[in-house]
Amino acid sequence: MKMSAIGVAVAGVLLFPMAGPLAQSVNDAQIASIVVTANQVDIDAGKLAASRSTNGEVKAFARLMVTDHTGVNKSATDLAARLKVTPQDNPTSQSLKADGEKNLAHLKTLKGAAFDKAYIDHEVAYHQQVIDALDKTLIPGATNEELKALLVKVRPAFVAHLEHAKRLQASASTQG
Amino acid sequence: MRIATVAAAIGLIVCTVGPVAGDRRKSKTYTVTIEGMRFQPARLTVARGDTIVWVNNDLVPHTATSEAGSFDSQIIQPEKSWRLSATKKGEFAYICTFHPTMKAMLHVQ
Repeated sequence: MKMSAIGVAVAGVLLFPMAGPLAQSVNDAQIASIVVTANQVDIDAGKLAASRSTNGEVKAFARLMVTDHTGVNKSATDLAARLKVTPQDNPTSQSLKADGEKNLAHLKTLKGAAFDKAYIDHEVAYHQQVIDALDKTLIPGATNEELKALLVKVRPAFVAHLEHAKRLQASASTQG
Repeated sequence: MRIATVAAAIGLIVCTVGPVAGDRRKSKTYTVTIEGMRFQPARLTVARGDTIVWVNNDLVPHTATSEAGSFDSQIIQPEKSWRLSATKKGEFAYICTFHPTMKAMLHVQ
């Protein structure tokens, strides 16, 4: 119940601003900002989970999120710099940031298995929504070919992370 | 450290046994590309004495690690590679230790 509520919230944050009239107005500078913010939000959650979780697999996943999303962000910021694109704040990146802060604040109130469950549930919803955003808005919306190629290149990492998070979710639920 | 010891041990075996089997055959080098969170090809067959190079074309670090402990690349950073000399016959299932969805097979004949 709670998870689906989070899922809907993330979906609303990520997709609503782009599904409406704004869809046409997301430019490359805004896409760059969305990508960087989306990665940063997951890096921050990963850092918290790596230090706070007591489950070895969750900790390893959290460290992986920090490493992988840092790598993706480096590529994104390097490309933006090379293309002389300054990431431009926009409603989607602002919502992503706000949702990330809300998630962190919520996670900080939790401990043990409840913390792990909330973290992993959010990771599943977050990665699914980023993949949806990539497919429906960001990849089709990118005009610069190199930016589009980068988005295509990062997509499999999000898919692998989603699969990984789902496995942790399933193993946690079978352990009760 | 343990890996280095094992590698050294395998190296010794190759030096003593290898030339007998592979004297006249030129060893080849094969590339496994790591891209899109996959090993490509997912199954590779080589002969003993050949070299396999794993090239990481992804934006994130990976490993090529034998599930049975026969070899372990440790971290292969983006745009870096790691090479292995195939010294032992067999089927080696390997994974990326970071990304459990990444699985492949090396067959040394």
